[in-house]
Amino acid sequence: MKKFAKILAVVLAIATLTACLCFTLTACNKEVSDYEYMKGKGTLICGITLFEPMDYADEDGEITGFDAEFAQLVAEKLGLEAKFQVIKWNSKELELNSKSIDCIWNGLTVNEERKENMDFSQSYINNTQCVVVKSADLATLNTKAALEGKKAGAEAGSAGESAAKDLTENVTSVSAQMTALTELNAGTIDFAVVDVILAQSNCGKGDYADLAIQPAIELEAEEYAVGFRKGSDIVEKVNAAINELKADGTLLALAEKYGLAGQLIK
Amino acid sequence: MSFSQVTQQLFEGFGTTCLLFILTLILAIPLGLIVCMGSMSKFKPLQAVVRAFVWIIRGTPLMLQLFVVFYVPGIVFDTPIFARFENGRFIAALIAFVINYSCYFSEIFRGGIQSIPKGQYEAAQVLGMTKAQTFFHIVVPQVIKRIVPPMSNEIITLVKDTSLARVIAVIDIIMVAENILALRALIWPLFYTGAFYLIFNGLLSVLFRFIEKKLNYYKL
Repeated sequence: MKKFAKILAVVLAIATLTACLCFTLTACNKEVSDYEYMKGKGTLICGITLFEPMDYADEDGEITGFDAEFAQLVAEKLGLEAKFQVIKWNSKELELNSKSIDCIWNGLTVNEERKENMDFSQSYINNTQCVVVKSADLATLNTKAALEGKKAGAEAGSAGESAAKDLTENVTSVSAQMTALTELNAGTIDFAVVDVILAQSNCGKGDYADLAIQPAIELEAEEYAVGFRKGSDIVEKVNAAINELKADGTLLALAEKYGLAGQLIK
Repeated sequence: MSFSQVTQQLFEGFGTTCLLFILTLILAIPLGLIVCMGSMSKFKPLQAVVRAFVWIIRGTPLMLQLFVVFYVPGIVFDTPIFARFENGRFIAALIAFVINYSCYFSEIFRGGIQSIPKGQYEAAQVLGMTKAQTFFHIVVPQVIKRIVPPMSNEIITLVKDTSLARVIAVIDIIMVAENILALRALIWPLFYTGAFYLIFNGLLSVLFRFIEKKLNYYKL
């Protein structure tokens, strides 16, 4: 037994040493820019969550949608292949900084906090947050004052969460926008604050047949853009590619296909 | 979306769940034995290192360990090793699960081995058995019998713990249900996943009861 223990100790020590060595060696050759890194592997991995009409799976399980097709067009212009990776939305900064993904291309709202952690491309879609209530409450929960003190739900780390906090102090932060709608359906909250684009494609459908967007309450406007690693040199190239797609009308045609022409930034 | 379509999609996710479960089990049991030998070693420095390791793994949440295994190579060392493969996320989850469960298993094994009274070793020595003979013919058969109930507990927990892998976006059965919720606005598939776990664990329970019955030797 003692002999075995000594062998095991030696093996452990060697394993640790080689692991350290490997890491220091690989850490040394990181003098390539972010774009060169992507060129080297040939892919632009886009972090997404499934939500219509931006990124969703079609009948065959292939990812499609406005953002998905948009990303493919831009990647093509940069000589890269767009790949899509479903992620957990509140891990998006971890995913980006650990290079598990190369960008967040999924109706990402531009805001000041996020600008500290990532670089944004130019904005391409106008979005607003909206208040979703049960259809029965449409007539009563129709002013900002009526929402005060009510229980709100919004996605943790989302733009809707900060909007909800401005409306009431009683905000439950849940793990996904759809969870906020589920909470509303279950009656555990009184209203939810989510992206209007997401609300439009879900309210009045399936199990959410009872939910409706409150048109009487307007929240601040915001914009969608693509998020990249801080200091990445690909942002400029992506912006140039987006300009080309805008100029030749490709982007407008794409927006029309997904019913987003009204919200496209021209 | 019809019931059969949902069932079919959930089965795809359940495949990942089962694969993660089975591979973790196959790899964590032998590794658990090695960790167990380390923590019972008479070579003190090795024992201290192994026990500290077990303390860290058992003392921190599995969810955190999943984050560490998957994100740290990219963030700290700038080498996203798992992003290079198609199923890198699954491999990262598997590594975290194997490490975590081998530590839990090792403590169960240690408890089993140390529960054998010293008198039996002395008796075996008197009968002229070697240390190896004593261990494999006297100790091990009793240990296997004694660790079946705690092991079955841990294994059933493992089946349910696999759902944690979705924090690094491994598409298990629960994540499939969450995606159906996100795209089709259907809530019931999420609760329907419970039936899959329940049936699977039911089968495991039957298997463990059978094993316990088979091991019903040395009854006093």
